[in-house]
Amino acid sequence: MKVGFFIGCNTAFNRPDLEQAVRFSYPHLGVEIDDLEGQSCCPSWGTMPSVDLAGWSAVSARNFCLAEEKDLDIVTVCGSCYGSLAETRHSLQKDPDLREKVNGILEGLGRNYRGSANVYQSVGYLYKKIDIDKVRQSLKYSLAGLKVALQPGCHTLWPSKIYVDREEDSFHPHILKDMCQALGADVADYSRMTDCCGMGGMRSADMERSFNLLNVKLKSIKEEADPDLIVTGCSSCLIQIDTAQGQLYKDGKIKFQIPVLHYMQLLALCLGGEPEKVAGLAKTSVSGVINKIRGDSNV
Amino acid sequence: MISESENIVFNLSEGEPRFVAQIKELGGEEILECIQCGKCAAVCPMALAGFPIFNKKLIQAIFLGAREALLDDSSIWACQSCNRCTEICPRDVRPFEIILAMRRVAVREFAVPAMSVEGLKSLYDVGHAVYLKDSGQTRQKVGLPEKPPSVIAFPKALKELQAILHQSALWEIGIIPMEGNEMADTCEV
Repeated sequence: MKVGFFIGCNTAFNRPDLEQAVRFSYPHLGVEIDDLEGQSCCPSWGTMPSVDLAGWSAVSARNFCLAEEKDLDIVTVCGSCYGSLAETRHSLQKDPDLREKVNGILEGLGRNYRGSANVYQSVGYLYKKIDIDKVRQSLKYSLAGLKVALQPGCHTLWPSKIYVDREEDSFHPHILKDMCQALGADVADYSRMTDCCGMGGMRSADMERSFNLLNVKLKSIKEEADPDLIVTGCSSCLIQIDTAQGQLYKDGKIKFQIPVLHYMQLLALCLGGEPEKVAGLAKTSVSGVINKIRGDSNV
Repeated sequence: MISESENIVFNLSEGEPRFVAQIKELGGEEILECIQCGKCAAVCPMALAGFPIFNKKLIQAIFLGAREALLDDSSIWACQSCNRCTEICPRDVRPFEIILAMRRVAVREFAVPAMSVEGLKSLYDVGHAVYLKDSGQTRQKVGLPEKPPSVIAFPKALKELQAILHQSALWEIGIIPMEGNEMADTCEV
């Protein structure tokens, strides 16, 4: 099995340890990675989507073409890339005029959008395509005794009808939960699990409101779940929860800091990936959790 | 930005009658299906975070023709694009598409926050809306090549992307300089 890896700006430039986590864990589970050489920004919501539907769709469609030309689907670890690409695909499927216009633009580049490639988020792809027992059997370290709280990420959930790897009930998601339990983790529920982390446009527009929104969520996590670790399915959630906690702590707004990892990083650690490579760039220290995982080889 | 305590007074006879039509043309096609039930507001992170304008209020203000008041407020740029509103709307209004349509109106009036202009500029100059100048070192630290296998490493691919942008509304509107090809500095959007 082979899949095109759409890295995404935030992962490539801000958290390349997450990129390494994918490059380590996918092949371990029998999925070969294609780099989709020459991929660009998805493009993200504040750019072309906010200017023009045809221009947005054309940039997105070019990224799809890179996968189509190799008969591959696309996976991404970023919620925004996933949402932007999937929305474009949906628009191009239902609107022949838009498709004609986009292909008119792509023609000059010697490309043609066919609509054959699908886009998946990295956790959903594993859930749909890989036997969950295979994940269990491949583990070098188990998460037995580790309590995690989940942050699926908005874009992995909504709008559900445009996604091929959607949840059955998007307001009560279970894919990330099942995948964490497959690693042996104890998943603790809390009431604000599907609340937004505050990253994205909100953080760019108003950091204080963005951090305050996250603060409400963090307090719910701490009071109701009190986990060893927060696990997310989105690179934007990862960056927000990882970087904002230091500031909130400094400002006296929280009295705790909870380590956070993307699911792909946690998976890579459980498969025996080197911590410095697959989780080496966290701002909120993850060393305690990593020691706990690697110190107890109980599989 | 409009403060939370300030009441906005609309003079309906000064409203913009073609406003709804423009929103529909720019992607908010289902706006007239909205019955202001408020389900979108109940799930909106912007409403929860205390922004003065969010999905339901935006639609109401468009119905009132309050074009200028909306152009003066930057709330729409704080939308997370999370699509909770589109998921929950019982009338298939797709409120997020109306936020995008309003942003497209604002772009055509050059009423855009500096961060968004920087994001567009970075997309055009380096092919990524988010780009960190020192990322090469960060990547090498975790054992990756300095450049990801994206447009950053393939100049021909960047030219392709720029050729697409030259044929888009971005070119017609002229909100960013597009002739040159200078490397942008750090940009985090």
